[in-house]
Amino acid sequence: MNDERIRKKIKKIIQKNKFENISYRIENNIVHLDGKVSSYNDFLKIGTIIGKERNIKGVANNIEYPNKKKIKKRKGTTTKIDIVDVLIIGGGVVGTSIARELSKYKLNIILAEKESDVACGTTKANNAIIHTGIGEKNGTLKQKLCVKGQHMFGKITDELNVTYKQNGMMIITTKDTLSKIKLPSFIKNFFSKRIIPIIILQRGKKLGIPINIVNKKELLKREPNITKKALVGIYSPTYGMTSPYHFTIALAENAIENGVKLMLNTEIIDILTKENKIESVVTPNGIIETKFVINAAGLYVDEVADMAGAKEYTIHPKKGATLIFDLKTGEYTNHSISMLRFPRTEHYKGGGILTTIDGNIQWGPTLLETPDKEDTTVSADEIENIFESYSPLLENFPTKSVITYFSGLRACTFTEDFIIKASKKIKGFIHVAGIQSPGLTAAPAIAEMVVDILKNEGLKLEKKSNFNPYQKKKIITKNLSNEEKNKLIEKNPQYGEIVCRCELITKGEIVNSIHSKIPALNIDAIKRRTRAGMGRCQSGFCLPKIAQILAQETDIPLEKILKNDKESNLFLGKAKCLLDDNYDKN
Amino acid sequence: MIKTDVAVIGGGPAGLAAALKASEKADVILLERGKELGGILPQCIHEGFGNFILKKNLTGPEYAQHYIDKIKKSNIVVKTGTNVLEINANKNIIATNSEDGIIDINAESIILAMGCREKTRSQILIPGTRPAGIYTAGTAQHLVNIDGVMPGNRIVILGSGDVGLIMARRLTLEGGKVEGVYEITSKPGGLTRNVVQCLYDYSIPLYLSHTVTNITGKKRVEGVTVAKVDKKMKPIKKTERFIPCDCLILAVGLIPENEISKQIDIIIDERTKGAIVNEKMETSISGIFACGNVVHVHDLVDDVTITAKKAGVNAARYVKEKPDIKEKIKVTAGDNVEYVVPQIINSRDLNSITLYFRVKREEKNVVVVILDGNNKILEKKERIVKPPEMLKITLSKETLIQIIQNELKINVWSENE
Repeated sequence: MNDERIRKKIKKIIQKNKFENISYRIENNIVHLDGKVSSYNDFLKIGTIIGKERNIKGVANNIEYPNKKKIKKRKGTTTKIDIVDVLIIGGGVVGTSIARELSKYKLNIILAEKESDVACGTTKANNAIIHTGIGEKNGTLKQKLCVKGQHMFGKITDELNVTYKQNGMMIITTKDTLSKIKLPSFIKNFFSKRIIPIIILQRGKKLGIPINIVNKKELLKREPNITKKALVGIYSPTYGMTSPYHFTIALAENAIENGVKLMLNTEIIDILTKENKIESVVTPNGIIETKFVINAAGLYVDEVADMAGAKEYTIHPKKGATLIFDLKTGEYTNHSISMLRFPRTEHYKGGGILTTIDGNIQWGPTLLETPDKEDTTVSADEIENIFESYSPLLENFPTKSVITYFSGLRACTFTEDFIIKASKKIKGFIHVAGIQSPGLTAAPAIAEMVVDILKNEGLKLEKKSNFNPYQKKKIITKNLSNEEKNKLIEKNPQYGEIVCRCELITKGEIVNSIHSKIPALNIDAIKRRTRAGMGRCQSGFCLPKIAQILAQETDIPLEKILKNDKESNLFLGKAKCLLDDNYDKN
Repeated sequence: MIKTDVAVIGGGPAGLAAALKASEKADVILLERGKELGGILPQCIHEGFGNFILKKNLTGPEYAQHYIDKIKKSNIVVKTGTNVLEINANKNIIATNSEDGIIDINAESIILAMGCREKTRSQILIPGTRPAGIYTAGTAQHLVNIDGVMPGNRIVILGSGDVGLIMARRLTLEGGKVEGVYEITSKPGGLTRNVVQCLYDYSIPLYLSHTVTNITGKKRVEGVTVAKVDKKMKPIKKTERFIPCDCLILAVGLIPENEISKQIDIIIDERTKGAIVNEKMETSISGIFACGNVVHVHDLVDDVTITAKKAGVNAARYVKEKPDIKEKIKVTAGDNVEYVVPQIINSRDLNSITLYFRVKREEKNVVVVILDGNNKILEKKERIVKPPEMLKITLSKETLIQIIQNELKINVWSENE
């Protein structure tokens, strides 16, 4: 379809919905919207309706709405600090996957991350599922890369020594699956029990995804705590779990091992082009020359693309909140459990009662549009919503044993599918945008696709002979046998000192994380690497100890220790400071 | 494998007293996960410890030292920096420390004295962000008193448990500004003496029937939203107001830390969250005793020491003679009683048995009545009873003899009824 026909379509949509004060421009099947609306909801409505139209490849929604956040322009320095072949923006699972894949070739690569650690955005706050692809829309890039990525996951996690378990997903239908549909209940039950499983089974066959139908008797045997309202189970045995941050940290460390330069605390300020070709990237520390920029900036891909003059999409974050339950709750289920509900309600994206790689149970996630790319709040409504959505799935679950909750943001575009391609407008700019679920699963496949794109764009790729795909296994004391523990403690007594009593994490593991290839220099970075503080006391007992260890192992004074980012100081000065000889409150 | 008569898990006030008492008659090994003995006491630098049993008004560290000095003179084997990883019903203990590596202990009798932990923000489901500056009161106390750092300068405290009240005063003395203490129930959660000495004396406001409904701030706490609650403890939306602050301290309750007890399926009382014990402080597993805050949360360390001694004596006695269980008298909580400990009496062959209990709600001019089935066997008048203040009633030998139905129920009735 050409731009002229799209223009006519958009005109109709705008007239029909009575959107006033909106102007639009179409270029290479991309719709650019400008103007003003009275609310964020209207902004979303326009983008969503247009994004759903076939043949539209992107919606760059620049419409103003009240209280829209202005993008702050920071200043960079003009000194040239480096020249590289490829610069990757974003140290999430996608950016680090690409970095590692590219490190197989003789290239100079920089991976730039704005935060103080990798895996700090969407990567750290999702449900850690390795999807099969059964839930994705047919024919989408998402589906293709999810299926491919899932097949790659076993090998890559083996190489990186990251835990990955295929513990299966039990999808159930219940008497409430079609409760919103007005039909006699015997018809609804027939559909839920007989028809839906067969449709899913057929879909699985087409995609090569194993699916088993489990009758109610068998279902109750395999999941004794499941709701008695369940009609049938649709079991997906290849469904898996990993630790997204362990995976991402391992990818990044392996990429570093193979020559990639990781620049943390490096927010991209500008991207300079000449004659529609990438020339350099401006950072707070100086200018880096490069011909290729890979935009894997997650929630910020639209802003980064705009810097290069290559904006083809706008991110509208969708928040997902999740509750985590005490480790002890792991015994209530044998698989992840999800219930089908049609039609999907506004706040119900699916999700369910999911296992985690560490054995806790998680409930979630929710789905909520938010204009703020940093809005990781969990509201009272969201908590209530999670209890309402998932309590009906299990019986006798100790719902009071919540140990923590968090929100993550999905980097959604209006066209919903992944956008992975070279910019037509700016030579050397590669879009890796709209990576929402199943982005974690697809990441290895995305990385391979990006390498192919770079090749097509003229980047010379020559394989290294000395690429090392392996990462050493990290010591986790509690997983060792008593003999192994004894040996280890004899060599290094720090492995006999338990710091986090809930998760049984030793001082040795904490010290290791502080001195690892990407040093963990704040409490949350240590927590992500070791699990210290993730247990039922939520670091009440171990926080002071971990802060002391971090201060001892680095030259950071105790009172300057951070929770995570800059300004997230855990402590506000010294106590008993009047006793100090050099009294200085800060 | 180390063989011992009695192994005590936990070197806080309960573990110290239990180990000392047991060591008079048996070989004892004392395991403490901290680097030094005393449990939580070293960080409790305020006074109010030992008034009853030592007749001295000591600070936490002083009270601990009193017992540590005695331990040093005893033949108790002390292992600090030692975490128990596993125990089993055969009374084998696997522990670890940096000196010995993995320690395998076989004991004739075990005393559980692991204490308690604090409820966190997640357990009361406070919505909002997750910035730096949210601490439980005990953690804040450790930070100020042990680590010498300030958890915040402008502080809101949620919950009026004793540690929260004490921290309100402590942070004020350190130059912090406590904006207020907010309590969801209509009565203070801590001892009256602490409300007076820690809040009123420092003009720190106490807001009853209030809670925190949101936490704001991305990197560091920037403020909290508080609201009045209705009779069902649900926040009233229109009463919400924002309080700028950089720190939220939670003093919303303590839970006995029974992760180890649960490994061997010791029966836990749903109300106390601690093990069900008999008059000897013995749990549902013969030869495994429990004492102190791991059984139920006490207000005063003196009571912890008293019951811990009982556990120590009985654990040592168990090593010599395994008692036959003669009878089973159930002790249950009746009207206006939250819980009662011990929950079972297996032998009344004693001079007296003291029952510890808490009321559900404050009431004036009441009578505590103990029924055996329908027969009243004991009553005692109390001028005022409050949930934060633990009550005791002692059954004398004469009273114990009267028990026939083997079903004791403790009620707190209004005197007029």
